[in-house]
Amino acid sequence: MTIFLILSFNFLLFRVMPGDVTRIVIPKGADNQTIEDLREYYGLDDSKLSQYFTYLENLFFRGELGESLTVRKGSEVTSILGPYVLNTLILVGIGTIFSIWVGVILGSVTAWKRGKAVDRVGSAFFIVFYCMPTFLFGLVIITLVGRYVPEWPIKGAFGDEYWNLDILGKIGDRTLHMLLPMFALVIETIATFSIITRSSLIDVLTEDYMVTAVAKGLKGKDVLHDHAMPNAMLPVVTVIAMNVGWVMSGSIMIEIIFSYPGLGYLTWDAVWNYDYPVMQAIFMLEAVAVLIANFLADMALFKLDPRVKM
Amino acid sequence: MTGTADDQLTRTLARFILSDARREKARLLAKKARVIWRQFAANRAGLLGLCTLVAFVVLAVFAPWLATHDNPSSWSWTRVNPRYAQPSGEFLFGTDYDGKDVYSLTLYGARASLIVGFLASLISIVLGTIVGLLSGYFGKVSDEVLMRLTDFFLVIPWLPLMIVFVMLMGRSFENVIIVIGITSWPSTSRIVRAQVLSLKSMVFIERAKAVGAGGGHIIAKHILPNVFPLIFANTILLVANAIFSESFLAFLGLQDPTIISWGTMLERAYNTAAFTSFAWWVIAAPGISIVALIMAFYLIGDALDEILNPRLRRR
Repeated sequence: MTIFLILSFNFLLFRVMPGDVTRIVIPKGADNQTIEDLREYYGLDDSKLSQYFTYLENLFFRGELGESLTVRKGSEVTSILGPYVLNTLILVGIGTIFSIWVGVILGSVTAWKRGKAVDRVGSAFFIVFYCMPTFLFGLVIITLVGRYVPEWPIKGAFGDEYWNLDILGKIGDRTLHMLLPMFALVIETIATFSIITRSSLIDVLTEDYMVTAVAKGLKGKDVLHDHAMPNAMLPVVTVIAMNVGWVMSGSIMIEIIFSYPGLGYLTWDAVWNYDYPVMQAIFMLEAVAVLIANFLADMALFKLDPRVKM
Repeated sequence: MTGTADDQLTRTLARFILSDARREKARLLAKKARVIWRQFAANRAGLLGLCTLVAFVVLAVFAPWLATHDNPSSWSWTRVNPRYAQPSGEFLFGTDYDGKDVYSLTLYGARASLIVGFLASLISIVLGTIVGLLSGYFGKVSDEVLMRLTDFFLVIPWLPLMIVFVMLMGRSFENVIIVIGITSWPSTSRIVRAQVLSLKSMVFIERAKAVGAGGGHIIAKHILPNVFPLIFANTILLVANAIFSESFLAFLGLQDPTIISWGTMLERAYNTAAFTSFAWWVIAAPGISIVALIMAFYLIGDALDEILNPRLRRR
């Protein structure tokens, strides 16, 4: 249901907005007959309502998302998206998992050592990186690497030699190209997740049952892992799921700055070229990704918290 | 004759009592403000944020007097000043590719950031509060429709949405503000709606209804004052977000190029290869300013959240 509504909003967004599609598609100086033909080809003479139904029908019964208008004229959007989706999935997927892992660890360490030097220094770093826009950090990295390690590749997802390499070489080449964008992307999310984990864990540590656990004579480690963490993780999971859209926005900045051919880069290309079908498809994919993330979070909550009912 | 005198007396008394009540109300409000201020002043991080913010506001307001070069964005500087001059006595933060003084540009840039930050979050607060009130107070169909709309804005990542809106509406300073405003209201509307829902079932609202108060009166006099403290801390975080969004949109070239903002400075630096030629001062001045200003708002918002949201205070 939600998906359906999003599709409808998506359709509306690109139809209601100013900017006539015909102006973009039709070459300058075309005669009236050509314009007529093109309008008919793209179905622009139909009413908005029947355009909408065609859109839904194509999507649900044929799995088609229309044709690209400008970026790759005439080719199916679904076939264009493939490699871009893969690149983004690698970057954002690994990045998110890595930053959840590191963020939770750093957050729990600082919360456990609250008020001590580790916590003060750590929290200061979290706040600075949390407030630093991702694209700014990317720019700093590019500047520094360009100056001190000029051999390191800072553009693209793979080098020019990529297609001549064997499978191991391909993986190595991709890793080399991905390290910097990945680093720039995860630093903010790590800071975000650390802050969330820290504050959530501190909340839990002041609960009465924590005093009980200590009074029982449990060791510090046991208290943290068995009593505090399971309870502290509940809000963390929810907030992380809410942050998936944010991470994707961050990946757009990173992809543009590092010319990394992923969905964000494609969005940028499509926006400048007024390629509505491609934008529509990307919006749909991103919405679906956020919904999936929320669903996974619900599942995780269900597993973590026996009180939660499906 | 006595009747009118009595009337007059009653009216005077009523006015006296009313004005007394008003004075009492003002006194209580001032007292509350003093308490909040004392708690805020005790929070060192929040105070640091406030000082930073005040410093930036002062710099922005007095930019024409503090700047070492008049009209720093003028292209005529290209002929006068050296390109990429190192920071020195004459050029405090060096010069950029076009020979413009980076220090003066940074001062003027604070204006754009602060204006965008405050106006955009004002738009999003007004929108978010209206949507939250309507869906929370009237419920039923309006709730259903408005919440689905909110879902749409929450589910689509905000950045591509903003890019598309700006592209379609045209690049200008006003449009950037409007677009940031209309893409960032959902979080406010969620908070307002939740608060309205819990207020609606409270006894004093029932009482107001029983006395015959209309929907408009209840919203204005009873619900809004109780919603405001909750959205206040959120608002300050929204300002930080708006400043960040502006800088990124400008960096992507979606801002009016004649506006001096930190984002357009970074864009110009990026396009003129400041990054590969290691002209670090061109990047550092706007970059550090952005981070410092966003951090100021974050620290203030965090401190206020702790004060206004007592659940956190027991730590």
